[in-house]
Amino acid sequence: MSLEQQGLLLVWGMLVGLDLASVPQAMIARPLVAGVVAGAILGDVGTGLRLGVVFELLQHDILHLGAVRYPEYGPATVAGVSVAHAATGALGIGFGAVVGLFTGLLGGVSLHALRRLNTRAVQRASDALEAGDAATLVRLHVTSLARDAARAAFVTAVGLLLAAGVRGFLVGTLTVRGAMVVAAAATGAAIAAGAAGTLRLVGGRATLGWFAAGLLGGAAGAWLK
Amino acid sequence: MKPPLGRTLLRLFTVQGSWNYERMQGVGVGVAEEPLLRDLAVSRSAAAYRAAVARAAHFFNAHPYLCGMAVGAAARAEHDGTPPDQVERLRTALCGPLGSLGDRLVWAGWLPLNSGLALVGVSLGLGWWTVVGFLALYNAGHVALRWWALRAGWARGMRVAEALRQPVLQRAAAVVGPGMALAMGAALPLAAGYLGGPFPGWARALVAGVAGVGLVLLRLPRLGVTGLRFGLGVVAMALVVGWAWR
Amino acid sequence: MSIKLFRIDDRLIHGQVVVGWGQPLHVGFIVLVDDAVRASPVEQELYRMGVPPHIDVIFASLAEAVAQLPEWDADPRPGIVLAGDIATLAALTENCHRVTRINVGGIHARPGRSERLRFVFLSDAEVEQLQRLAARGVEVTAQDVPTARPVPLAEFT
Repeated sequence: MSLEQQGLLLVWGMLVGLDLASVPQAMIARPLVAGVVAGAILGDVGTGLRLGVVFELLQHDILHLGAVRYPEYGPATVAGVSVAHAATGALGIGFGAVVGLFTGLLGGVSLHALRRLNTRAVQRASDALEAGDAATLVRLHVTSLARDAARAAFVTAVGLLLAAGVRGFLVGTLTVRGAMVVAAAATGAAIAAGAAGTLRLVGGRATLGWFAAGLLGGAAGAWLK
Repeated sequence: MKPPLGRTLLRLFTVQGSWNYERMQGVGVGVAEEPLLRDLAVSRSAAAYRAAVARAAHFFNAHPYLCGMAVGAAARAEHDGTPPDQVERLRTALCGPLGSLGDRLVWAGWLPLNSGLALVGVSLGLGWWTVVGFLALYNAGHVALRWWALRAGWARGMRVAEALRQPVLQRAAAVVGPGMALAMGAALPLAAGYLGGPFPGWARALVAGVAGVGLVLLRLPRLGVTGLRFGLGVVAMALVVGWAWR
Repeated sequence: MSIKLFRIDDRLIHGQVVVGWGQPLHVGFIVLVDDAVRASPVEQELYRMGVPPHIDVIFASLAEAVAQLPEWDADPRPGIVLAGDIATLAALTENCHRVTRINVGGIHARPGRSERLRFVFLSDAEVEQLQRLAARGVEVTAQDVPTARPVPLAEFT
């Protein structure tokens, strides 16, 4: 991986992290989007799609209720793709998942820390805000946006470092069979999370019927393929 | 004067950029509303403008795509000379319905619907075009919703409840829910087939076993298992097994 | 007793109340005790919109609530009583010895208040109000959603 590619991944991870909550929430933070573009940067769209699907399924397990803490899978997918790309085919999925899950955990923790910093900044500015000082209001907002950009870049950078570590030390120590165990376990976990998250959303009897119809159609399609 | 709704819309795209535990989206809402309040300084007084800006930045929390409705309604109410405490109470009252409508329409509807369609597309081998389609379709709905919300709020002010009563919203919610269920229902087996396809038989059995155990654990909320925790645990175990099994 | 939750939440009816508590408690009605909302049809309509049709919403002034509390408590359906500030709920439960627990669900920042928990900001006077409630034998805990840990009063004041 060249230095230019690393730089591009870092910038992309930052944009993805910003999109999650701050700006513009156009869902480039979705793992499928984050993964494909990361794959394209590395010239390996296939791996980007595959790991993107894994984390997209995991993402369905997250409910946005209140200010509950949740993992952040966008920059995590970017970092994961950078390691999954190092192993051939589906084998890299396991390594990508290891890096992605840890980076996702870190992303969630960093979001909480960011919100604490924002809270303190708002408290400091409270007199000016109560006086209706528009300049302070806008400055506060822009500073917070910049803080989130720095946070997203930091999380992506740590993820990329972790990926480099896994590439250097872990990938070589596992046999093909060993790597496959890890990949299969990660895939199973993703399917479980996707199914559990969907079942939580599918409430009434009417929607359950539609879900069952989709399930049948999808199963038939998968079997035909 | 023509209200600067375009500028407010642009600012609304950053509405959660300063999310914090004290005012939640309040600061972002204030930043977005401020352009709509500027002519209060001319039509009334500089003090009236500043007082309105201060109110606009108070605590607020709702669905980010629908914040515009509160921004528009509160700004219009300020222009109409509504008493300050009523403007504040309107903002408080809007948090609940705008939050629950957005949850139903977007977080539990439009977003998983589009994500499901994208998973189906990728699993069927349509490649990165699926992702382009996902972004185009999802954001057509996303941007339209933001724009509609802002304009509906600005048009009605204190009577904003009328906009929320519109039958088109109920119809959208009635379509998006079943659509999401259908798309995700189809996506799950297809994605499982796509991800499991390259594995040999024993590894596919492992995928199925882990997925089954995981689904049971995740369906028991009392255990406190989340997708992240389950994923980390299972991958850690797999690393040990994979390292030992030579 | 029919009323499962006495809650103080300055956002009144919102997702945490309806979905977070309403679903696991199988709530059939929500009583919102607030003099200003009682007087404002516009606000009542907005609050009702956030609630699914199978849950009744009752808007009451403090005086009405004091009179009708025994009636709600005899309702066969589980219910939630909600007020936006401590004073209202304290006044409502003053003469009702059956109220043994009060849930502080969300009191947000305002000048004069300081942060006690992520979702609880209190002035010193409000802390005293809560402590007086506790002194009467009411168990006061802070908890935004049912999956979170109930924080005892002593830990956040």
